[in-house]
Amino acid sequence: MTNEYSLIDKILAGEQHLYAELVNRYKSYAFTIALKILENKPEAEETAQDAFIKAYHHLRSFNRESKFSTWLYRIAFNTAISYKRKRKARPDDPFGRASFQSIENVIVEYEAGEDTLERDDKKKFISQAMSKLNEADRLALNLYYLREFSLEEVAEITGMQVNTVKVRVHRARQRLADELKSVLQKEALTL
Amino acid sequence: MNQSQTQDSTLFEYIDGGLKGSEKKNFEQILKDSPALQTRLEELRRLDSGLRTIKVEHPSKNFTQRVMSRLDQYPIRSSNLTFRNGILLLTGVLVAVGLGSLLLAGGVFDGTSSIDLNQTIIANKYIQKTLPTFNFNGKLIMNIIILLNLALAFMVLDRAILRPWFERRRLSV
Repeated sequence: MTNEYSLIDKILAGEQHLYAELVNRYKSYAFTIALKILENKPEAEETAQDAFIKAYHHLRSFNRESKFSTWLYRIAFNTAISYKRKRKARPDDPFGRASFQSIENVIVEYEAGEDTLERDDKKKFISQAMSKLNEADRLALNLYYLREFSLEEVAEITGMQVNTVKVRVHRARQRLADELKSVLQKEALTL
Repeated sequence: MNQSQTQDSTLFEYIDGGLKGSEKKNFEQILKDSPALQTRLEELRRLDSGLRTIKVEHPSKNFTQRVMSRLDQYPIRSSNLTFRNGILLLTGVLVAVGLGSLLLAGGVFDGTSSIDLNQTIIANKYIQKTLPTFNFNGKLIMNIIILLNLALAFMVLDRAILRPWFERRRLSV
């Protein structure tokens, strides 16, 4: 953390090139957060870049009470949310019609030992169940399961209360379990 | 929360490792005696293991390079109105609105003036027909001008003061 703060101090002192180190360190998570919200890789990439540029220009206002990463991810989250709102306001935008089917790209790898067919089925079922969750619940669940974030950090990034995040994660998992159960039952009946 | 929700909540807590000591032992005893609960635990475990594999995505290889080359492009979505200019413009607009309102209240614009097109030089020289006369209600026009100024003041307030302020607040975690 101290190392990170001294890096920030150097950047603030004018060593702009050192910012690349911070970008390299956090680009994947910033990109993933944007991707979970926008569900479109080129848009997520552009948004994550915008977030880093915003963070750079507001680096002086980072008060160091939270981790730099949490502050940055919150900027990425807010930038992606603003982008999504603007996209919704443009119904002719082809990305605006993107369905949640693309979430299929997000959940991919399952435990080793499962054969491909079973793994693909699971992927399909979880994807179907995920698409029925509401957006906020799905996002809270995704961030929570990224494992980088504690409930407190998810709350800080999304601007929600910790209890709200807790409720959303719990509700989403419960709904997902029920959906999966019903999907699997339907599948069993058709066999 | 109904019974099955409470049950799921405890099961998730168990899966997450949130149950400790005697609480955990008691729950495991209940679990042992209930095949239905065991089945549900298995379902939730399978879901949890599926969700745990949500992975971090990686951006393109030239991501950092593109960020670094765009660092000086800020503000990304630019507004030409700076805070200082915004304040000056807002003050000017509000002063104009205030003056207009004062004059309006003083009855300066109470009268109705008219423009007779027949009196114009062009009409006298080139047009033989009788042209119409337009009446202007000064009070109405002033009211419209004041309203437009208020709308302008609101826009300036939003773009030069409120938006940057909220942006700064959002970024100062």
